[in-house]
Amino acid sequence: MGWRTIARTDGAVTVGPRLVKFLLALPALAVLAAGYAYPLLGEEPITTARFAGFATGWFTGIVPFVGVLLGYNAVVSERESGAILLSLSLPRSRGDVVFGKLASRAGLVCGVLLPALVVAGALVVYPFGRLELLPFLGFVLVTLAYAAIWTGLGVAASLSVSTKGRSLVIAGGLFFLFVIVWDGITAGIELGLHEAGLIGEEAPGPLEFVFEIDPGSAFSRVVDGFIDPGASVGGPWYLGEWAALVLLVLWAVVPIGLAYWRFSGRDLA
Amino acid sequence: MAISADSLTKRYGTVTALDRVDLTVEEGEIFGFLGPNGAGKSTFINILLDFARPSAGSAAMFGHDCQAEGVAARERVGVLPEGYSVFDRLTGRQHLEYAVRSKDADADPVDVLDRVGVREAAERPASDYSKGMKQRLVLGMALVGEPDLLVLDEPTTGLDPNGAAEIRTILREERERGAAVFFSSHILEQVEAVCDRVAILQDGELVAVDTIAGLRDSLGGGTKLVIDVDGIQPGTTEAVRNVPGVETVTVVEETTLEVTCANDAKMDVLVELYDAGVEVVNFRTEEASLEDMFVEYTGGA
Repeated sequence: MGWRTIARTDGAVTVGPRLVKFLLALPALAVLAAGYAYPLLGEEPITTARFAGFATGWFTGIVPFVGVLLGYNAVVSERESGAILLSLSLPRSRGDVVFGKLASRAGLVCGVLLPALVVAGALVVYPFGRLELLPFLGFVLVTLAYAAIWTGLGVAASLSVSTKGRSLVIAGGLFFLFVIVWDGITAGIELGLHEAGLIGEEAPGPLEFVFEIDPGSAFSRVVDGFIDPGASVGGPWYLGEWAALVLLVLWAVVPIGLAYWRFSGRDLA
Repeated sequence: MAISADSLTKRYGTVTALDRVDLTVEEGEIFGFLGPNGAGKSTFINILLDFARPSAGSAAMFGHDCQAEGVAARERVGVLPEGYSVFDRLTGRQHLEYAVRSKDADADPVDVLDRVGVREAAERPASDYSKGMKQRLVLGMALVGEPDLLVLDEPTTGLDPNGAAEIRTILREERERGAAVFFSSHILEQVEAVCDRVAILQDGELVAVDTIAGLRDSLGGGTKLVIDVDGIQPGTTEAVRNVPGVETVTVVEETTLEVTCANDAKMDVLVELYDAGVEVVNFRTEEASLEDMFVEYTGGA
């Protein structure tokens, strides 16, 4: 399969510079720190399932940060330099190139997160915690999916434009919007509408759905609904954990699917 | 057929880069694609490689449509594109290894590097190579896997005449092996020295496709007379031009006439000069070169 060769080479080349190694270390450290802190700060009982609820706050910022930075130059740097002509002169398709690079970048981030999560789980269980295996496995899977979503958003940015600079702007913009300012914007809108008398104290259901449509909120809802026994998700069905799961799948598939569709129709030379 | 193009057209906005180009390249021939800069040669090759999509018409390699079945089309093809850059952070040898893995081939990277003449630099980053070395490296990548067709866009760029001669030797070796070679150039001597057939492209249109001998014949002339005279009077060139069978008359350096004409007209030209009272000091005949034909076909572009 063409994409495997691409993924291997791309992964090896990407992880070379020290800056990338540093970036990859960040989410791992955040996870390990959460695993260390939870037994000290969390409420009884200390279990790996409840750890999920505790931990998400620690890395819902850092994982997107690293994800977009690892993804934003995936295809566009080759396109800008002209090396992509060399790639595509060999017998592989644009799909192979895109999928290979996505696999390589997401693979790097997930490859760092997985052992970190396992070690964090061990830190929670020993000496005084309780292992709840199934929920913890679910948590690991969802976290890896979250990392893949954000790397995918970076790669999608890199597919949609022709220079690295523009790709960074788009990827950075997505991060800024959905991670940094999203809560502020939604709170502001809610307040504004309330002041204007259009809504009551709480936002109505459909509006709430829009406010919670970002990947981070969907991630939290999935963790609260499926994994953390101490938390739950209320409200109508579209605000529930199953809808959040579907939303995560859409976040994983739709942006990169659209970007790839656009990319596959473009002239590259 | 190694390559077949059917009414291939490419428009960029209002500019027509390729205008209904029909072309076939047979297996086992070396085919030269000639044209001035900007004629559309690279556009044609880019469509073959699916870097760009045609506005109308189609192209295929070994029967596989270049757009619809792009990967299959490139399976048996080795490519040296234009405007590429080498991969950052990979050595020359790593580039070859990458090509070997991608084509699932048996080649030994070192042998290939040796053949194209960059073996000494194999362990250095390819981004450090000179332009000529990069061309050799990418040619090496193209040769991996013994492809049935080589598509090369201006392969001698960055190479000195010796390097260019080495490339031509490699191309001949590939033809011996049974491969077809399709390469573009705006340097006529390169094409003349090695091609079985030639196509001339200008402003997106194919103006001629033939063997070099065939192109000469169809020009109707084929002979160039170079006549040194003692002096040229007004009206001499006019008179010579009027001789039946004469194509062009050019004055070079005030005492030399270059006349392209049909073979039978040679004596008539000399007679005409005698009648005009012009003394012929010396003369020689040359076969019309590709350059003369090129200028002829492309209107002196």
